[in-house]
Amino acid sequence: MKKWLFGLLVLLLLTGLLVSGCPAEDVTPDPDPDPDPNDVPVDVEQDLVIAIGAEPESLDSLLMNSAPAATVSEHMIETLIYLDVDGTLQPSLAESWEPTEDGLAWDLSLRQGVTFHDGEPFNAEAVKYNLDRFMAYGDFEGQTAAIYAFLLGEVNEFEVIDEYTLRLHLNQEFAPIISHLSHSFVGMHSPASLGALGEDEVLEAPVGTGAFKIVSWDRGERIVMERNEDYWGGAPELETVTFVFVPEAGSRVIMLETGEAHAIMAVPPTEIDRLEAEADIDVVFEDSVRVIYIGFNLEDERFNDVRVRQALNHAVDKEAIIATIFQGVGSPSSAPVVPAVFGYTQVGPYEYNPELAMELLAEAGFEDGFDIELFHPTGRYPQDSTVIEAVQAMFAEVGVNASLTTYDWGTYLDTVIVPPEQAEHDLYMLGWGTVTLDADYGLYALHHSTQWPPRNNVSYYANDEVDALLDEARVTPDTAVREALYAEAIQLIWDDAPWVYLHNEGQVNAVRSNVHGLIHHPLENILAWDAYIE
Amino acid sequence: MYGYILRRLLLAIPVLIGVSILVFAIIRLIPGDPARAIAGVQASPEFIEQVRRDLLLDEGLHVQYYVYMTNLLQGDLGRSTFTRRPVTVELLQRFPNTITLAATAMVIATIIGMSAGIISATKRYSLFDNASMLAALVGVAAPVFWLGVMFQLLFSVQLGWLPSGGIGTWKHLVLPALTLGLATAALIARITRSSMLEVLRQDYITTARSKGLVESVVTYKHALKNAMIPVVTVMGLQFGTLLGGAVLTETVFSWPGIGRLMVDSILARDYPVVQGAVLLLAVFFVLINLVVDIIYAFLDPRISYGSKKGE
Repeated sequence: MKKWLFGLLVLLLLTGLLVSGCPAEDVTPDPDPDPDPNDVPVDVEQDLVIAIGAEPESLDSLLMNSAPAATVSEHMIETLIYLDVDGTLQPSLAESWEPTEDGLAWDLSLRQGVTFHDGEPFNAEAVKYNLDRFMAYGDFEGQTAAIYAFLLGEVNEFEVIDEYTLRLHLNQEFAPIISHLSHSFVGMHSPASLGALGEDEVLEAPVGTGAFKIVSWDRGERIVMERNEDYWGGAPELETVTFVFVPEAGSRVIMLETGEAHAIMAVPPTEIDRLEAEADIDVVFEDSVRVIYIGFNLEDERFNDVRVRQALNHAVDKEAIIATIFQGVGSPSSAPVVPAVFGYTQVGPYEYNPELAMELLAEAGFEDGFDIELFHPTGRYPQDSTVIEAVQAMFAEVGVNASLTTYDWGTYLDTVIVPPEQAEHDLYMLGWGTVTLDADYGLYALHHSTQWPPRNNVSYYANDEVDALLDEARVTPDTAVREALYAEAIQLIWDDAPWVYLHNEGQVNAVRSNVHGLIHHPLENILAWDAYIE
Repeated sequence: MYGYILRRLLLAIPVLIGVSILVFAIIRLIPGDPARAIAGVQASPEFIEQVRRDLLLDEGLHVQYYVYMTNLLQGDLGRSTFTRRPVTVELLQRFPNTITLAATAMVIATIIGMSAGIISATKRYSLFDNASMLAALVGVAAPVFWLGVMFQLLFSVQLGWLPSGGIGTWKHLVLPALTLGLATAALIARITRSSMLEVLRQDYITTARSKGLVESVVTYKHALKNAMIPVVTVMGLQFGTLLGGAVLTETVFSWPGIGRLMVDSILARDYPVVQGAVLLLAVFFVLINLVVDIIYAFLDPRISYGSKKGE
């Protein structure tokens, strides 16, 4: 073979490789290519593709543990009560609910005429089956309860009153129980489908009552669902909904731009401006339910003086963090829970005022400042390390020198959620999502004195008054009274400042303009049952 | 030859046992409680305790390893602590994807790399030589995530020719395979060139030339075959690397391969899956090395393994 011929061959190969991906009909850019890669001829019009960053670990109520699992599951597996985007509790599979007179039980009236995707009837027996399984009660005693079984920890029995009435028996009065029932993980599966699971067999194809039915789940790739023609709430417009798992945020953005996805979750802050400039893409800003904070180790003597804790709150410029690190997404914390939560009262934010901070420190006897160990996770919360570095610089402005200790998530939790005698940190960064949108979930677990590690009151906060208010709000069914109790508790906590309050996370999704009706939920879910493609 | 292969296979067993012990020990030395990582921040202490019991985390390391090995010998790699599915199922679902990607990348790398290397060697210091070696330098240096994103922007966003990620048709394979293949191509080109140059200086090449053989016969029949040994070595090593090291490419292109599974599992402290994946890759690495050694014998008759019968 001549040498030039070889050179030509290489060139041809190179060109061939580059061009091989383009059969003639595909040469023109396709603004909305077939979202199904298997080239199955489908009606392109109503097949929605949503790209999310992580895959559900499971779609079984027992094992679900993450927001992606909740997002996907909600389309197929419904809860008894639906937690709306505005935080209100809406009838879903239960039409109404009320406490018994002594408040020690609740009666749920179930929706009639609903069937599961496999044709099995939905009734009180089915609900009892699901909830017993969730809690490992009754027939399931001795088996493993759900990861989120603590949601219904105050319930000791589920009793079938008649075909469409179920009674929940409580250990003690517990007002947030209805909120807890609305949690995405307390979903209703067809008992027949669960019963058919062999021992050690994992649920791959959930059978619920939802607006969509499962078609396929290719692990690591996608979950495809089709419309449930017999849906009790009326069949959705969309023919299919596909969730694809794209861990790399930049790749999700590209999929949206090419039209391979109609909607994406968690747009990186750096891409927001660029996407907003594109005519056929809408950027959607929605609150999240998570607060990000830096907690004090209150067993450290230097933090005994409330002025020190308040000083550090005044030392941090929350607005600047949000504007520069998050491109304006999110808001400064104005309470220990986010505004969407039932029971929220605005009591903040702490004003950014370094002079005041230094005055307070001086009054507390720290005119020369002090050194602290600040622990934080990396890769868990958006921009967590960057935020901490900004806070470190702001602390330094008022004379507090923080040395940072960084851990990855698994290690971190194990390092900071420890009893006081094992604590190595002076301050620690954490976040908390009030996923029931009820203040009890956000306040009790993090501020009640019975909740010290291994539970989640990592600051070792204890205030008898706060304890009493939180206890009372738990057992008071009257919502107005509860709101007043939480308002009082929030004010007390805020003034005690067991945390340096940072920000409420925001979430940014992006959607192609021809898609309408998607619900962007504060729980970091994206829901498609009312959506359609124009 | 068969005796040699058998011996090598037997020798692989202690290697694999060593690997299993190392992996088992190393991931347990990472600080952090896997039970908590699995259960999540909002889980109750009771649940975390239960996970710990399920995973035998309260037992001594030797007990954990004993149980692990006993199960392993029965073909049971345990269950993923994240999805609760059998590890073998998780691995078998991902591994074909990884093989497909790595093999395609390898084919691309071999064709481009060897062609460029041979031409560069025979036309030393020519424009082609300089240009291709510069390209190879860039290819080796360019991070795959950068190259991958550039390809996405060009072929998916601008031209609309190829899907930007995912898996399904051959079109989905092109960009990740090209991204992965080009870096390896660069390496192969450089090795081929230097190996060829060395061989072309040997006496027997001069002899062949002086016999009046055409230059192309000298190059392809006499030189290339002997120059292949280091190239095959590098290709073998690279193939092993491609299997486990395609994490970045797999992430950029949402390719559900074993590399991504492994990283996800490490982050989730999913011990059983990490152990299984590393073990699987180790088995493949051992096999690839064996294949490479056998190819040596075919390439260079001076290399023979053991038997004098020349088998």
